[in-house]
Amino acid sequence: MSAHAVSFSGVEKTYKRPGFVGASYTTAVKDLSFELPAGEVTGLLGLNGAGKTTIMKLLTGLIFPTAGRVRVFGHPPTDGAAKARVGFLPELPYFPPQLRPAEALGYYGRLSGLSGPELDGAVRQAMDRTGLEPHAGKRVSEFSKGMMQRLGLAQALLHGPELLVLDEPVSGLDPLAIHDIRGLLAGLNAEGKAVFLSSHSISEVEKLCSRVLIMVKGRLAAVVKRQQWEASPGGLEKIFVEAVR
Amino acid sequence: MRGFTALRAVAANTFFESVRNRFFLLFAVFAFTAIYASVLAGVMAVDQEGRVLADFGLALIELTALGYTLFSASSVLLREAETKTIYLVFSRPVPRWAYLGGKLAGSLLTAALMLAVMGLMHLALLAMRGFGAPPCYALALIGSFLKLAVITSAALFISLFSTSAVSTLVISGILWTAGHFASEARFMAEKAEGASAFLLKAVIWLLPNFQLFNLRDAAGQACALPPAALAAAAAWTLGAFLGALWLLARKEF
Repeated sequence: MSAHAVSFSGVEKTYKRPGFVGASYTTAVKDLSFELPAGEVTGLLGLNGAGKTTIMKLLTGLIFPTAGRVRVFGHPPTDGAAKARVGFLPELPYFPPQLRPAEALGYYGRLSGLSGPELDGAVRQAMDRTGLEPHAGKRVSEFSKGMMQRLGLAQALLHGPELLVLDEPVSGLDPLAIHDIRGLLAGLNAEGKAVFLSSHSISEVEKLCSRVLIMVKGRLAAVVKRQQWEASPGGLEKIFVEAVR
Repeated sequence: MRGFTALRAVAANTFFESVRNRFFLLFAVFAFTAIYASVLAGVMAVDQEGRVLADFGLALIELTALGYTLFSASSVLLREAETKTIYLVFSRPVPRWAYLGGKLAGSLLTAALMLAVMGLMHLALLAMRGFGAPPCYALALIGSFLKLAVITSAALFISLFSTSAVSTLVISGILWTAGHFASEARFMAEKAEGASAFLLKAVIWLLPNFQLFNLRDAAGQACALPPAALAAAAAWTLGAFLGALWLLARKEF
């Protein structure tokens, strides 16, 4: 049993892009070491191209580190034992437009190993938690951006993960949807689930997280705890601006 | 066990997405129209009308199913990567072999349904023209299915290293065409000498011989699908599948 939900040690990720005259290489993250405690809400802040999405993909096993070691609940992120404990919401999730939410969730539930009454219960519960129940009869093509994001969250919650990895969960949402999703994430954290979310919205991260990682050009520039930014006159925004400048 | 559950889920999802897709409906309409056109062509064939109707219809059925399955197999992985749907799959405990196997099984199930539906439409048209089912009809469709199994698996493999769906379609199309001239290529290899002979023989080993499954050309001959043809179809499909799996296991999204 690992006390940390996630640990990165000396991680580097370099992307190779083949070309006509040899390949070009871009290092997205370098010398990255940090831990995410189980049961905490941790935020990931950084400018565009700072390496936030790369970190999310590394810990969900979608890409592999060039160097270093990533562990999720003590397992490599590509291991089924790690994936079974993680729920992932990518930025702007897509679902086939002709499906109804329960059909889309049924598919992802089956991929998570659920079946029969357990699957039906998990779909119902996920729809209920994310406020999709009143829209159960609609097709995904009729969904607003906020409802798509709720459906994205619902698929991440289906299998009862201990860690939620959310890439820009409130990006482009209206204030009411942001409020609802914030409430949902706070509730999940109160149940003991760890949440790791990336965002461009400092105020959202400030409201939700107990700790924040600030990335600058692929390197971890600062780890800031809630007490630190609450004690700082300019709050988290000032700390962030100073770190990225 | 979990891998096979995931395979079944991916296969069912691929199949139902295809069936729901309007593109599939367009192909059904196209196939119906094309087969009707074959009736007109049959009228012009005078005393060989039945034979022309049967051959033309079977060829169109195969080409229509080929068009759909090739298009589907060429674009499915790229589309799922572009829409990030694949993130939701591979962030779950889904083995890559199960995902790939599911995609292949779903595509083949779709191809089988297309062949069956178009076959029934063709037989209905033949009956309307006063002809019965041609000899070896079901086996001819099975032969077409085996060809589609091989080319679909090959297209999935090609799509994992080609740069676009169009290049996958082109390469698969070349493979399909070359595979129908495997006997001619073998003859050329026997006549060739030196390094070119070695190269040709190597290529022939990799080239699926689609003529093995062309039972629609076998009218009047023995109506049977030789076990060697089944084994060859299984070997080529499995070989391409394993190649695709090797690439997919290393692929990042």
